[in-house]
Amino acid sequence: MTAKLQTIGIRKEYPGTVALDNVSVSFDGGKVHALIGKNGAGKSTLVKIFAGAVQPTSGTLLVDGQEVVLRSPRDAFAKGIATVYQELSLVPSLSVAENILLGRLPMRDGWGGCVVDWPQVFARAQAVLDGMQTSLDVRTTVAGLGVAQQQIVEIAKAMSFKPAVLMLDEPTSALAQHETQNLFRLLRNLAEKGVAIIYITHRLQELPQIADTVTVVRDGKHVGSIPIADATPHTIARMMFGEVIRKERPTDLQAGTEPVLEVRGLGRRGKLHGVSFTLYSGEILGIAGLLGSGRTELLQAVFGAEPFDEGEIVLAGQPVRGATPARMKDRGVAFTPENRKEQALVQCLSTRANMCLASLDRISSFGFTTRARERAVVNRLIEQLAVRVHDAEQAVSALSGGNQQKVVVGKWLNTNPRVILFDEPTRGIDVQAKQQIFQIMWDLSRQGISSIFVSSELEELLEVCHRIIILKKGTLAGEVRPGSVSVDQLFVQCMEQ
Amino acid sequence: MRGGSTLNEKLRAGLKRSIMELVLLALCCILAFKAPGFFTTDNLLNVLRNVSMQGVIAFGMTMVIIAGEIDLSVGSAVAFSGCLAAWLTGYLLSSQGWLGGPMAVVVSIIASVLAGFGIGCLTGYLRVRFQVPTFITTLAWMTVLKGAAELITKGFSLTPFPEWYNFIGGGYLAGIPFPALIFLATFVVIQFLMSFTSFGRSIYAVGGNAEAARLSGIKVHQVKILVMGIVAGLAGLSGIMQSSQVMSGSATAAQGWELDVISAVIIGGTSLMGGAGTVWGTLIGVIFLGVLVNGMTLMNISEYWQHVVRGALILAAVLINLAPSSRK
Repeated sequence: MTAKLQTIGIRKEYPGTVALDNVSVSFDGGKVHALIGKNGAGKSTLVKIFAGAVQPTSGTLLVDGQEVVLRSPRDAFAKGIATVYQELSLVPSLSVAENILLGRLPMRDGWGGCVVDWPQVFARAQAVLDGMQTSLDVRTTVAGLGVAQQQIVEIAKAMSFKPAVLMLDEPTSALAQHETQNLFRLLRNLAEKGVAIIYITHRLQELPQIADTVTVVRDGKHVGSIPIADATPHTIARMMFGEVIRKERPTDLQAGTEPVLEVRGLGRRGKLHGVSFTLYSGEILGIAGLLGSGRTELLQAVFGAEPFDEGEIVLAGQPVRGATPARMKDRGVAFTPENRKEQALVQCLSTRANMCLASLDRISSFGFTTRARERAVVNRLIEQLAVRVHDAEQAVSALSGGNQQKVVVGKWLNTNPRVILFDEPTRGIDVQAKQQIFQIMWDLSRQGISSIFVSSELEELLEVCHRIIILKKGTLAGEVRPGSVSVDQLFVQCMEQ
Repeated sequence: MRGGSTLNEKLRAGLKRSIMELVLLALCCILAFKAPGFFTTDNLLNVLRNVSMQGVIAFGMTMVIIAGEIDLSVGSAVAFSGCLAAWLTGYLLSSQGWLGGPMAVVVSIIASVLAGFGIGCLTGYLRVRFQVPTFITTLAWMTVLKGAAELITKGFSLTPFPEWYNFIGGGYLAGIPFPALIFLATFVVIQFLMSFTSFGRSIYAVGGNAEAARLSGIKVHQVKILVMGIVAGLAGLSGIMQSSQVMSGSATAAQGWELDVISAVIIGGTSLMGGAGTVWGTLIGVIFLGVLVNGMTLMNISEYWQHVVRGALILAAVLINLAPSSRK
């Protein structure tokens, strides 16, 4: 049997880097293939090549054994490859049926072919949904549906092209548990009809429930594809991480013994359950956990950015009542959110204005501030953090990811914090900038300032932190010292049910 | 990287940044030759006086739009404030209590401005507490306040004001129209507020990215409520100036002002997306519109044409505004 989709020696170069190197994979029809790998391993480049959004530098692509060249997403559709992206692209105000057939609505005969044949629209959309064995009213508007149902509409839209290959990029990231189960049932049905399903996910705990095979990419190379029966957490961890050179943090770093922040029994419905831990002065505490384990929710709750239902936060011995970002800031807590662009920076303002954002009251006296005053503070920070910017007035949107992150950190250093909560500070920044961010955390630690460091990159946690706690489904599931575990051991701990 | 820009680039950037100033200058030059009596001290002061009442509101509107909100009710708020002041003055004078004489007028003025401020704060509160868009709330206020003004006056013009009240909207100080002085003073205060206070800087942050502002510990709710309060308070002040100029409170005053005010702000380069804009730009925008209307009137261009020209200008201003790397 020929594979539905196959690559032979695919290579993709970007200026300065090789994103994919000699990748030869094949995906059979009738099966669900999980495609996994760390961030930057090359998953998304591979998916973009399949979807026709990116052209490989060299190598061949075969669909049903026939060599094809996909110059555009339209080509990919024509060859029967459909993609459902993480961000849904539906028109909320239109009906389910109209969304499924968007841009391809059947027209009535006559009338110059410009009158919509509504009975046909609904019948065809219904046929697609029937084929997927799902029950959704094709006449309801999409706006009235939940995320899970919208996802089904999105898949139905893809299926209306009658694809041979269906790719899904992290389809469960916004779904609740039972919704995920429904989605899996749907994917099973589709696979049984002979469709090859390529399923990209970071939620490795889902693999046994949904995947038939697991394909792993690492550093742009195809590490291997194995049947799900062989995919134990240990095997997957080894395939994903390979041989890791352990990096050590500077030896002079010592966590203090004085508790700075105590979190007691923190709970938020469906997100966090009885989380308790203590952070000591100068300590860098890592939080490990898979996507959706409640890492971000925990930081947000501690910072007062999202409410919590139960539990207590104690800062320097004083319980905090009614936490809000403004109040937590005054109490010496800082927070760098994971979505730098959306949550941390005001893109239309200058580097200077962004760096002063959290400390306007501190910089000004009696509510008055001047540009000169702000500039003095900002220039010192730019130098201290080695931000590469030729002028503090430069728009922050023009800076690189790493430099933007430094601006966010600088914004908070200005507030004289005792605790900084870092949520994925290294996402999307280059290796050098990462090292500089680590250096900042270590310097802070030497000054007695504590950090909580959330990262999906477990190697980073092991390199940077004094201590790592593990979150699983919103519950604290363990604590490790970096010296005593390897990356794959830590990974297995995060993954095991 | 944009480091080491050439002289040419700098010149172009400077030109772009000050395009409205240059356009205003060009317009004045043309009118100096084409419009009889334009370039006289009297006429120029007259322009300032004519724009002062809308201009006062425009500075507040600049804050509101930079904060990412809008206020459509300012026209009605002007009428309401004028009527409230007139009614209250009349009531206090006739009741012959201790608040008689000049005090009656002073109290009426303060009460009217505060009423505006309170209404604005309520709009802001509805915005942050129940997520009602200010577009909707102020659209409702537009009708409600107009109706309230009519109820207060029962459809007539109220004329209880003493002679000296006319000074606020019609008087002169050192040869300069007093309302123009109020206008310039408001400019200075709001400019200072926006550039030199933490509150002002917060407004830019809130309008540019409310979530980032919130997560930076900025009290986004407070900022929005206050900003809405300030613009409505300034509309109240404008209502005092207006009723003083005509010496009566009338429910039909200031109709359609919201459009003139918002146009001036947009022509001044403030982004409707929020987060960007300057009070200086609004000053230029206000004066530009005033000069244009004055010039067209002097040149005997019909009012119908004036409407068309002003509408076209708003469109042109937005187009310039949306061009990349526009004024900050």
